Amino acid sequence: MRQDLKILIGFYSVLAFWPLFFHNNPGIMHILILCLLWGVVAASWDLIMGFAGIFTFGQVAFYVIGGYGSAILTRTFGISPWLGILAAGGITAIIGILVGLPCLRLKGSYVALVTFAVHMILEPFLKSEPGRAIGTGGPQGILDIPPLTFFEYTYNSMEPVPWFYTVFIISFISLFIIYKIIHSNWGLAFLTIRDSEVFARSIGVNDFKYKLIVFAISAFITGMIGAVYAHYVGMMSHRLLGLDFFLILMVMLVLGGMGRFPGAVLGAFIAVFISEELRIFETYRNVIFGAMVILLVIFMPQGIAGFLFSDNKLKSTRNLMTLMNKKLSKL
Amino acid sequence: MLEVNAVNTGYGEIEVLNDVSLEIGEGELRILLGPNGHGKSTLLKTICGLHQPTSGSIRFNGEEISKLTSDKIVEMGITYIAEDRELFPEMTVLENLKMGALNRNARNKAKKNLDYVLDLFPRLEERAKSFASTLSGGEARMLAIGRGLMANSQFLAIDEPSLGLAPILRVEVFNKIEEIHQSGCGILLVEQNMPQLAEIADMVYLLEEGKIVFSGDKETALNNKDFKEAFLGI
Amino acid sequence: MLQEIIEVLISGITSGSIYAMMALGMALVYGVTKVFNFAYGSFYTMGGYLAYVVYSSGLGHLGVFLITLPVLFAAGWWTEKLAIKPLRKRDDWEMLAVMVTLGLALFLDNLHQVIFGPFKKSIPALVEGQTHVGTFVFSNHDVTILVAALLSMLFFVLFLNKSYIGMSVRAVAQNPIGAQIVGVANNRIFAYTFALSAVLVGTAGVLLVPKYYVHPFGGWDILVKAWVITAFGGMGSLKGSFYAAFILGIVEAFVGWHFGLTWTIFAWFTVLLGTLIIRPQGLFGTWG
Repeated sequence: MRQDLKILIGFYSVLAFWPLFFHNNPGIMHILILCLLWGVVAASWDLIMGFAGIFTFGQVAFYVIGGYGSAILTRTFGISPWLGILAAGGITAIIGILVGLPCLRLKGSYVALVTFAVHMILEPFLKSEPGRAIGTGGPQGILDIPPLTFFEYTYNSMEPVPWFYTVFIISFISLFIIYKIIHSNWGLAFLTIRDSEVFARSIGVNDFKYKLIVFAISAFITGMIGAVYAHYVGMMSHRLLGLDFFLILMVMLVLGGMGRFPGAVLGAFIAVFISEELRIFETYRNVIFGAMVILLVIFMPQGIAGFLFSDNKLKSTRNLMTLMNKKLSKL
Repeated sequence: MLEVNAVNTGYGEIEVLNDVSLEIGEGELRILLGPNGHGKSTLLKTICGLHQPTSGSIRFNGEEISKLTSDKIVEMGITYIAEDRELFPEMTVLENLKMGALNRNARNKAKKNLDYVLDLFPRLEERAKSFASTLSGGEARMLAIGRGLMANSQFLAIDEPSLGLAPILRVEVFNKIEEIHQSGCGILLVEQNMPQLAEIADMVYLLEEGKIVFSGDKETALNNKDFKEAFLGI
Repeated sequence: MLQEIIEVLISGITSGSIYAMMALGMALVYGVTKVFNFAYGSFYTMGGYLAYVVYSSGLGHLGVFLITLPVLFAAGWWTEKLAIKPLRKRDDWEMLAVMVTLGLALFLDNLHQVIFGPFKKSIPALVEGQTHVGTFVFSNHDVTILVAALLSMLFFVLFLNKSYIGMSVRAVAQNPIGAQIVGVANNRIFAYTFALSAVLVGTAGVLLVPKYYVHPFGGWDILVKAWVITAFGGMGSLKGSFYAAFILGIVEAFVGWHFGLTWTIFAWFTVLLGTLIIRPQGLFGTWG
């Protein structure tokens, strides 16, 4: 088994036992659940940015769209929240593709701006009249999202342990899927696009197709997780789009290391941990986070994963060669 | 004036220059020949600071320049005239020339040098207000050389100035280069068309696979069997 | 009715002049260093807060101009030298540069919030009151803004075309190798450009404080608008950004007048999408 999967399984195995110690501490359980969720969001952001090399800043937007999506569907149509979660993933995936379309031909920083603009426009939209018309609840948001149910049992936030294990499973499956994608032909294609679009095209890799694929996958997973979150906390507000969440997500990615699985997941747990420790500083917390991002990018751009894995530079050339061989052998 | 000693350099893991040594005396015109892709441009770029040597030394007028940045090297009096010309497309001919006089030594002589350059290349005077992107191949080549001259340097490293030019223009360019040489400038010229240059060179170097395999004056070159075989195909 | 239209037009032109300053700064940085500075909006708010601080310490409007400009220059300069330059040697420097400037933006914005609190701050205008011309009423401050913005841009253009440093900036943008050949110290020009852009956008911030106040997160609107303008005008094209700024300033004014202010952000977004889909290189598309 590859090293990255080993690390993930090892980490999750340890995590699995934490409720034994903390089940009576709702605060810690809540944080753990958020970590499990956000680790997946960070990993899917890493998939599209670290592996496919697309600078997107739409991750938080996808998360919120997923959350609102499921909330609206379950409230308006009364469908089961499980279905809502899947449907939300689907809707977000479609929006992901729509966002990706104009980005196909754009260079690096432009994509960052388009996706950031999507993020910026989502907030006024949610608060606006048209938004309200589809059920976003305007500035107040949605306050009564139906909880998940499992046969006879209704999940509620008073009992964190079932939530923990459910989210644990969802999280692990999502991460496993991401792992599989990274090590598949799709993953190779993503790396090729990241390292050299021109080269990719010259060996017949359709970069447009793969860019849309990675947008769709990343959006789907993130939207789905956003939906799980919505049913967990029972409410959705446009405030999630404030830059707080964005900032902590960035810290996760930079801390964990981009393009190295499961760096982003580890980064998530550490970042949330640091965030909790910094709560005593209140308003200074974000200042410190901002400074952390700056310093990490300059001095430790590989993140923690840089210490865990051997140098990846050779890997990308090897990947290109592998892909090329695969393509050539098909001739 | 210019001494290159045992210089090695490359791009990443690929070695391009291997233990290269040469020298140019004051006011001399020396020619660097060799097959394409064997390091001629890299050598010129390394001398001019556009590329770093991994080892070896480069001395100009006695001073070590191998570790200096390109702007300092230009200030010391060395100018590179690129094969790709590297002009400023959205600037006029005059503006391009003016930029050539950027370094401190050249600024107060800018007017004088400008007159000299326009005199040397009358076609540039005709096109003075045109944007560099609208020039023909020959005109662009002249502008590149002219801009290089504006730097008031003692030493020019010229990379294939006649590439892609019609024969008439080629002759014109070589004549101009000889004129510049006569005015006292040291020149290291990279070129392909040897016969015409045989008359004006003080010395010839042959660079193959990153190594200097031959050096000698023009008489020796034309009489050397290996040289003629390798390069002139005779 | 005609009077109203002309008033909206003039309002649009005034906004346009400020937008032009902001867009020029962004086009400058992107064209020369190829870095997209996500902290651009934060420099705008920094300008506003600097003005507030200087004015509140009793140094008056003159003090504001004398002090804010050099400070902004230094801020831009050191940002490039400390945060961007170390990244350049890496292959993925573009992505890292975006991350670091985004981190810087959030750092600065939150720092502003910590220091000044979340509520808006303001200073009085240089020239208060109104002027009446026929049936038109002009806010004196608006006139100040228009004049100051146009003057700044005039200086800027002269600088770029006549001074050696200005020409070096253009040279690096058009051909970095050519610039090296003529002896430009590219690294210093990068820092210079960042510094200049900080001055441009920061000055816009200073000029707008009396009108729109300054608050910690007000820079993001500026960032997005400046970017839409440069994309519309042709990323990296100064001429394009200049015209685009006025065009979009006027469009925004009319959209706001006719549909209401809340619709203006959708208008910006539409322009952005339209540009990217129909003509991604913008109006002018090259560096001028």
